[in-house]
Order: sequence, then C-alpha cells, then structure tokens
Amino acid sequence: MKDSTGLRVAELVIGYESPLHEPFTFNVAPGDVLAVVGPSGCGKSTLLGTIAGLTPALGGSIEIGGRNITALPINERRVAMVFQEALLFPHLNVRDNVAYGPRRAGISREEARAEADRLLTWVDLEGYGDRSIEQLSGGQAQRVSLARALAAKPDALCLDEPFSALDAPLRARLAQDVLSVIARARIPAIHVTHDPLEAQTMTRGAGGGSILSM
Amino acid sequence: MHAPTWLRWAWVVPAAFLVAFLAIPLASLGRQVISPGTVGYLFDPLPWQVAGLASGQAIVSTLLALAIGLPMANVLTRYRFWGRRWALALATVPFVLPTVVVALAFRALLGGSLGSGFAIVVLAHAYLNLAVVVRIVGARWVTIDPRMDLTARSLGAGPWTAFRTVTWPALRPAIASAAAIVFVFSFTSLGVVLLIGDSSTRTLESLVLRQTSILLDFQGAAVSAAIQALVVGSVLVLAARQRAAQRGGSARPMRLIRPRGRSSLAVGVVATAAAVIVLAPVLALVWASLRSSSGWTLAWWSGLFGPNTIDAGSTRIGSPLSAMARSLTFAIATGAVAAVVGGLAAVSVLTGRIGRAFAIATALPLGISAATLGLGTLLAYGRPPLDLRATGLLVPIAHALIAVPLVVAVATPTLRATDPRLVTVAANLGARPTRAWWTGYGPALRTVMVAAGGLACAVSLGEFGAASFLARADGPTVPLVIARLLGRPGEASFGVAAALAVVLVIMTTTLVAAVDRGGRRR
Repeated sequence: MKDSTGLRVAELVIGYESPLHEPFTFNVAPGDVLAVVGPSGCGKSTLLGTIAGLTPALGGSIEIGGRNITALPINERRVAMVFQEALLFPHLNVRDNVAYGPRRAGISREEARAEADRLLTWVDLEGYGDRSIEQLSGGQAQRVSLARALAAKPDALCLDEPFSALDAPLRARLAQDVLSVIARARIPAIHVTHDPLEAQTMTRGAGGGSILSM
Repeated sequence: MHAPTWLRWAWVVPAAFLVAFLAIPLASLGRQVISPGTVGYLFDPLPWQVAGLASGQAIVSTLLALAIGLPMANVLTRYRFWGRRWALALATVPFVLPTVVVALAFRALLGGSLGSGFAIVVLAHAYLNLAVVVRIVGARWVTIDPRMDLTARSLGAGPWTAFRTVTWPALRPAIASAAAIVFVFSFTSLGVVLLIGDSSTRTLESLVLRQTSILLDFQGAAVSAAIQALVVGSVLVLAARQRAAQRGGSARPMRLIRPRGRSSLAVGVVATAAAVIVLAPVLALVWASLRSSSGWTLAWWSGLFGPNTIDAGSTRIGSPLSAMARSLTFAIATGAVAAVVGGLAAVSVLTGRIGRAFAIATALPLGISAATLGLGTLLAYGRPPLDLRATGLLVPIAHALIAVPLVVAVATPTLRATDPRLVTVAANLGARPTRAWWTGYGPALRTVMVAAGGLACAVSLGEFGAASFLARADGPTVPLVIARLLGRPGEASFGVAAALAVVLVIMTTTLVAAVDRGGRRR
C-alpha cells in the first residue's frame, strides 16, 4: 500500500446481530483497487455495505483520508457505490443521472450538467446525455452508473460485482475502462467479485492493488 | 389454436347485455339531458354548488387516505415481519365492507364526539379507500429496488432528499392513479354522505337521488348526473395519463426488507396502527350491536332473528329477516348473471379483435356512478310502458353490471396464463373442437367462474347506490333497511341496524375470503 491518505480499515467487525467474519484490517491507497473475492454468502457484500454505510459496523473503524467515517450516515461518508445492476433513476435522462450527485452537493444545474458531460466523455459516452436510460445497453448503463458515482467526487469507490450481469467480452473491456477511470480519479476502490480471474484483472491496473480472499 | 366456431361468437352475449343495460339506459339519460329546457338547468347554481362541495370533500378525503395509506403501503408490502400477510389481508377489509356498514361503524365509533358532518364523512371515506392506496401504491413500491434509495444516499442525498428525488418520482404515477380512484369514490359517495353527512357534505349522487325520488325532477337529475360524469371522466383521463408516464421498476417484486434497529421500531408502530385503524370501526359496530343504555343486551339480535321482528309488516322499513332473504336472492342472481356474462367476455379476449374490444367495453360501468346507472335504468326500464321494477329484476341486473368488470378482471389473467397448446394436444389426441377447448381451458374457467361469481355476490350484498333507485319501496335490500333504520330516532333502531350490519360484514367477508382462498389454491 502506498500511503495512509486512502482508505484505512482497522479491526472492522461486520455482521447483523453477530459477527459474520474475523475482524478486517487493510489499507487501500488512492488509485489502487482492493479486490475482495469469495463464494456467495461469505460476507463480501456486507463488508462493502459496512464501508459504504448501508450496514452499521459491529466494531472497529473506517477512515478515509484521515477522516473517521465509521459512525457517519451513508450520505455523509463520500463513498460511492456501484451495484451489479446499474440502478439508474428512471425518471431522469443520462445527463441528469450523472449530475445527481453534484446537484446534491449544491452545485448549480448548469455546472452539474457540464460536469456530467465531462464524465460521460471519460466513460466513452460522449453525446449520450440527452438519451433516456431505456435507450442504453447493459454495458452503457453500467458506464453511466460509474460516471454517476464519480461525479459525486467521492473519497472512495465501492464496486459490488458491477460486471456480473454483462457478457464476457464486454466485462473485460469495461474492467479496463473502470481501472483507467479509478487511476485518473485517484481514489481508493474496493471491488467485490466471486470470480478470481476478474479479481486478478482488477488488481493489475494502472495504479496497483491487492486481493483479499474470504 | 383449434377453437370451436361458437367461441368466435362468445362476445355476442356480453355485447347484448351491455347494449341493453348500459347503452340504452345511458341513452335514456342522454335524451333527458339533450332536450329543451336543459340550458336553464345548466344555469341553475345548485348542481354546481354541490359539485364544488363534493370536490372539496373528495380532495380532503383523498389527502387523508394517502396520509394514512402510504406508510401502510410502505410497511405492509416491502418489509418482512411476523403477521405481514394477515396485516395485508386486514388492510383490504375496509374496501370489501358495504358503505352503509362503514357509515354505521363510524357513527358507532365517533358519532358521540364528531356527530354528523364533514369530519366524520372524510374519515369514513379515507377508511373505505385505504385498500385502494395500499394495493395500488404497494404494488408499485414493491417493484422499486431499495438500493435505488441507497444509491441516491451514497451520492450525498439525505433520507428525505433521497425519497423526494428518487422514490417519489417512481411512485408518483401509482399515487396519482390511487388518488384519482379515491377522489372518484369520495366524489360520488352516497351511502356515507346520506347516513353520517350534513349539508356541507352533499354530493351530486345524493342530489340525483333527491331529485329523482323526492322532487321527481328527472331532467334536473339527468343534468346533475351529466355534470358528475364530466368531472369523473376528466379525473380518470388525467390519472390514465399519469399511469402512462410510469417508468422503471422491476417486473417482479423485490425481496422483502428485514427491518433493523430504528426501522424495526417504525415498522412495528405502523403495522400496529394499521391493525387498530382497520379493526376499531368493526369492533365498535359489534359493541353497538350488544349494548343498550342499560348495559349489555341481546335484544337487538333477537329483534333481528326472533319471530317478532322489528317493524315486521311495515312497508317503510321492512323486516330485517325478509330483507336478508331478498339480498341473498339478489346476490345469487347477480353472481350467476355476472359469472356467465363476465366469463363469456373473458373468453372473448382469447378470440379475435372484436372479442377483445367488447371485453374492454365491459369495464365501462366502473367509470359510471351508481346514481347515473340507477337513474338511467329507471328511465329506460322503470316507467311505463316498460316497468320492470315490479319484477324485481332491475336490482340484480344493475348489480351484475357493476360486478361484470370485476369478473373479467379476475378471469382474464387466469385464462391468458393457460397454455393454448393444451387445446392442440387434446385435438391431436382426437378430441372434437369443443371438447379440446374445454380440456385446455375448462378447469381454469370453472374455478375462476366460481370465484368471480362469489365476488359478484359480495358486491351485490353490500351495494347501496343503485338499489336505492331501483328497489321497490316494499322490497328493500339489507343496506337499504340499515339506512332506513338509521333514519329513525331511538336506540332500538340503531342497535338492530348495528346487528344487521354485523351480519352483512360476516356474509361479505366470508364470501371474499372464500374467493381469495379459491384464488390462491389455483
């Protein structure tokens, strides 16, 4: 790991009523990817959900850039999530989906839309802003979801099996794109997958990375 | 599909039924509206004033139903907790209760503190329509991925902002649709406003009844009914536009959410409140049927079933026992007619374009109020030269007209879900066309007809609006007897009405529960 300004997890206990796993301790530097790999039901998504604030931690601490976020509500953590399904907001077009985060941060509509267009270019979807989300393919929708997550200027990115609904060639291409976007955004990322090959791909990116097996 | 020839003509029976008992009555009503002197009626301020009053009352009723129904829809359809299925079934109870029963129950529960008037009427309307909100909005809410809200929150939105910017837009078409239905039911309410309302809660429906039965002003009544139809039609068109705008959501319900921490407390509070809200009026009704000013009593029940029935022999009130027998007869006749007409309409959906068009047309009575339907039928068939009122046929016919859309709605999905290749297989094995068709569709059709017929019976048992126009003065149904008893002073009238209402609740809920069980077994 490069430095301590990224994501730092110390003695983190995850679970609902009782612990699901031994406590976790790891660091992820900005631009690096930690791939969490393991079979279904082992607690990978719960780990991700605990870091993002979906599930409260049973113990330990989570810090990002030196800020302790363990007890913060989900909307104050600045940890963006990308799920297996793109989960785009159906009443908004592509641009307004991406502009959602900046708007919540109080940025004007025009500036938020300009930022959205910039991020759509990052994910190879220049000119798609006015489209309805129903006009997107599965891969395009997942790219929009990634752009939306990055537009909120998060301090960390959590990817919960984001490629598993896609076919193999698209998965490989999107994985490369995601790695380059993470390196460019210089934020730590955690990528959950049940596929060891995908875990290896994600940790060989431009930044660097490691694999956590569960 | 190897369809028998007769199936292509299945639409003829429902079509003839609709023409005879919907189109002709509406035409009779239209003739009254489009006649000299109508312009004068249109400038009469009374129907417009009543329309204004009814709109205000319906808007408040709708807002109240949404305020109570939305948290119930959220908790009962999305969260996993012990007794959820029961709570959901319980939430449907108010909708299947006859309107006069609900009016009586609210008088028993809140009459002492609220008396009659606006407050108790809007509460009763909100109660009656809770199931509309829970079912329609809940069906939509359960398809919205809860992670959508979490995604919004991970992008910086607080809980309220996430709801306002993500969940609300997704729910809005369903809420608009439910609100439109609640508005229409409250705007066209009759039983509730007659029994627990005052001059501030008049509806065009009650005005039409007054103009028809007391003032004998048929042209004025027709104009009032036309104004009401205009308002109802406009609201339903607006709601249909909103529904068309519905986007996103999964085709299947999401997994139920297991509440944790503070949310489990909120779920517990809402579920308990829902049970109390639904049960309180029903329990108040049972209480009222067993209490007199001197304490506990069974006098009202013995008055109901004993040999010396209250007002036995009176033509104004009628005996409760004979009203029960009459209501049951009407209900059985309604069930039979609605099952045959609705069943054939549902079968027509499987055939050609004409069949489908007529099946859709059977939904028309849903958008027409009981007063409009009752008045139209009265104008067409209740006066010389053709007076069918004396035959006692008009009430079950009007009830069947109201029930047919429900039968079609219940039967069509089941028939559509049946694999048409079963008919081909039967034909390949040597069955003649009718036998092959029956082998494929018969079992589903038989089950669904019994269930739908039962539902039609339940509708007929509690129906008040059309019966108030069409039943003979000496042949009232149970809801009419309840209304007449409540119109008389004295605790005996109220007690017997409460006992009669309890009987009606038992009959209606038993029928609906049996239909529901039959449906689930299918």
